[in-house]
Amino acid sequence: MTRQRRVAVTSPQTRLAMARHRTGARMQLPHLAPADLERARRIHRAQLRAALGAVALLAVLIIGLPVLLAAFPGLDGVRVAGVPVSWLALGVLPYPALVLLARWQLRRAERAERPRELP
Amino acid sequence: MIVAAIVLVVLVTVLIGARGVAAIRSTSDFLVASRRISPALNAAAVSGEYLSAASFLGVAGLVLKDGIGALWYGVGFTAGYIAMLALVAAPMRRTGALTVPDFAEARLGSAGLRRLSGVVVLVIATLYLVPQFKAAGLVLTVVSGTPYWVGVVVAGAAVSITLALGGMRAATYVQAFQFGLKLLLFIVPAIWLVLQVGADTRREALAPVEFTRFERPSPVEFRLDVELTVTEPTPVTVSGRPPEVLAPGRYGASAGSTWTFAEGAAVPEVAGSLPPGGADWARPLLNPDGAGHPMLATMSLLVATVLGTMGLPHILVRFHTSSDGRGARRTAAITVALLSVFYLFPGVYGALGAVLLPELYLAGGTDTVVVALPARVDSGWLGTLFTALLSAGAFAAFLATSLGLLLALSGAVSHDLLPGVTVRRLRLTTLGAAVFMVALALPAAHLDVGALVTSGFAVAASTFCPLLVLGIWWARLTAQGAVVGMLVGLVSSAGVIGASFFVTAPPGLAAILLGQPALWSVPLAFVTMVLVSLRGRPPAWASAAMLRLHLDETEHSHRR
Repeated sequence: MTRQRRVAVTSPQTRLAMARHRTGARMQLPHLAPADLERARRIHRAQLRAALGAVALLAVLIIGLPVLLAAFPGLDGVRVAGVPVSWLALGVLPYPALVLLARWQLRRAERAERPRELP
Repeated sequence: MIVAAIVLVVLVTVLIGARGVAAIRSTSDFLVASRRISPALNAAAVSGEYLSAASFLGVAGLVLKDGIGALWYGVGFTAGYIAMLALVAAPMRRTGALTVPDFAEARLGSAGLRRLSGVVVLVIATLYLVPQFKAAGLVLTVVSGTPYWVGVVVAGAAVSITLALGGMRAATYVQAFQFGLKLLLFIVPAIWLVLQVGADTRREALAPVEFTRFERPSPVEFRLDVELTVTEPTPVTVSGRPPEVLAPGRYGASAGSTWTFAEGAAVPEVAGSLPPGGADWARPLLNPDGAGHPMLATMSLLVATVLGTMGLPHILVRFHTSSDGRGARRTAAITVALLSVFYLFPGVYGALGAVLLPELYLAGGTDTVVVALPARVDSGWLGTLFTALLSAGAFAAFLATSLGLLLALSGAVSHDLLPGVTVRRLRLTTLGAAVFMVALALPAAHLDVGALVTSGFAVAASTFCPLLVLGIWWARLTAQGAVVGMLVGLVSSAGVIGASFFVTAPPGLAAILLGQPALWSVPLAFVTMVLVSLRGRPPAWASAAMLRLHLDETEHSHRR
């Protein structure tokens, strides 16, 4: 086994901070090549559209559900297999809906990143 | 046996941390190990760090105390990762920033904003850590019968020892293991309880009746001073005194005393609490302490939890272990699925608790319902076994979250707030922070674990959420706008919550808007940030600084 130089192992956060203090330099100004800039603009627009869509759907779900439950107190009395429907609507139903929403948004965000030429 | 189970959790955690470090051959392996972690493993680690004592104990406790509507906590805690996935995960990973202060400097180039963000990390971490220590102290109190302060001090000692031994330090697979452990220790006892209680109790749990009479002789152990209002002559035996019949009126039960109510006795009223099982209790909207305006309270909670998740300092660091932006996004999506499994179960404990242990609401001990249920259902060795499992799980939850938060907090203090940095000082800061949290948790016995954690979310939602969302998606954000917006958000969330500890707002609308300010403080912070930014001019490089966050790494022609 070759001899290795000993290095203090720290968390990435500490490493960054120490590097920052050692160089004392402020960050370099961000810069993008013109070709990248154009593509970045396009992706930014597409991603923003996708993100706003997902957030809007999430809002419909988590604002709509309480409104629905407040508007129809009768759901407390309706039972499925002994459990009040309103309890199911709050304790169980949101989770599969959230998982599906996450899946949907993930797919769209990844599609927006793909170059336009590819199908 | 219960204490042994908790010690075992601590030992296994430390061992996995130590073995994991030993198994890694070279420093460079250690430093790049994070790059190879798959989204699924990383999502388990995120969930492991996220599921705190507030989720393990607090949500079920709030269901017992405030009603079925408290299940919205779980929905909000999970939905936060959708906001994270859609708005923050991938671009944040691409900045290479590990913390919000790093992000603030990378995106807006302002050292002042970095320091302000460091202060906000401090506030969020404190609001999040105090209830963790409270919960850990409470668990130890329940299982060993020692006073509350002993539990908190022991919990602080356990965290400090684990830190000193190097266990769990930033090791992804330790957190992933913690998630598996917590999930198992939460779900298996829940299923056992449901099977064990019998058909009658199951039916009662689904169709609760208001807790107005004691159905059996019930000893109530008061852990805090509580004022009770007796409405009719009530036979009771106070510990150390002969049996007596209380005339209607107000009585103070002092902490540490046990009142045994006779079978059939009327349940006294507690100011500011609804008895479990009533019609209000069973409504699926959040109505804390019966203050009214359940819709507002529910919305405020959801805004805080959904938008606050993206600003939690210990969670953001975890996303950095993804290989790239795409991996971070996948991590967030899988986390939604993992948390969805966990949050199906707090309701089981809450609903069973409302039938089997409604007297906990009298004693102000609803946070203990999860660990108290097994012994109530089975007084033999099985009950003890499951109490041990649940206590171990709660302690694992406490350890995982507190260590992550303590590291984030001391990182903020020594990297963002103080000049210069040494590893030694970082270590001392971490220990100092643990001592500070113990000192704050000692007088916090009467605060709800779940509610206090939500204040942490409210602060994150009112400060870091606008900074991250506008910073990532809006090129015109200026450093000045970010500073003013964050200050406004910090004062209207943390300031208002802090003031509500000293000034009691009249119950009703004002109490909800002041106790749960997210509903108005988040929009206020957003609007301030936008308006102040529009009055200023972003630097010429601002547009490139924002756009590069959206470029997929694999196609990037200018690597950092």
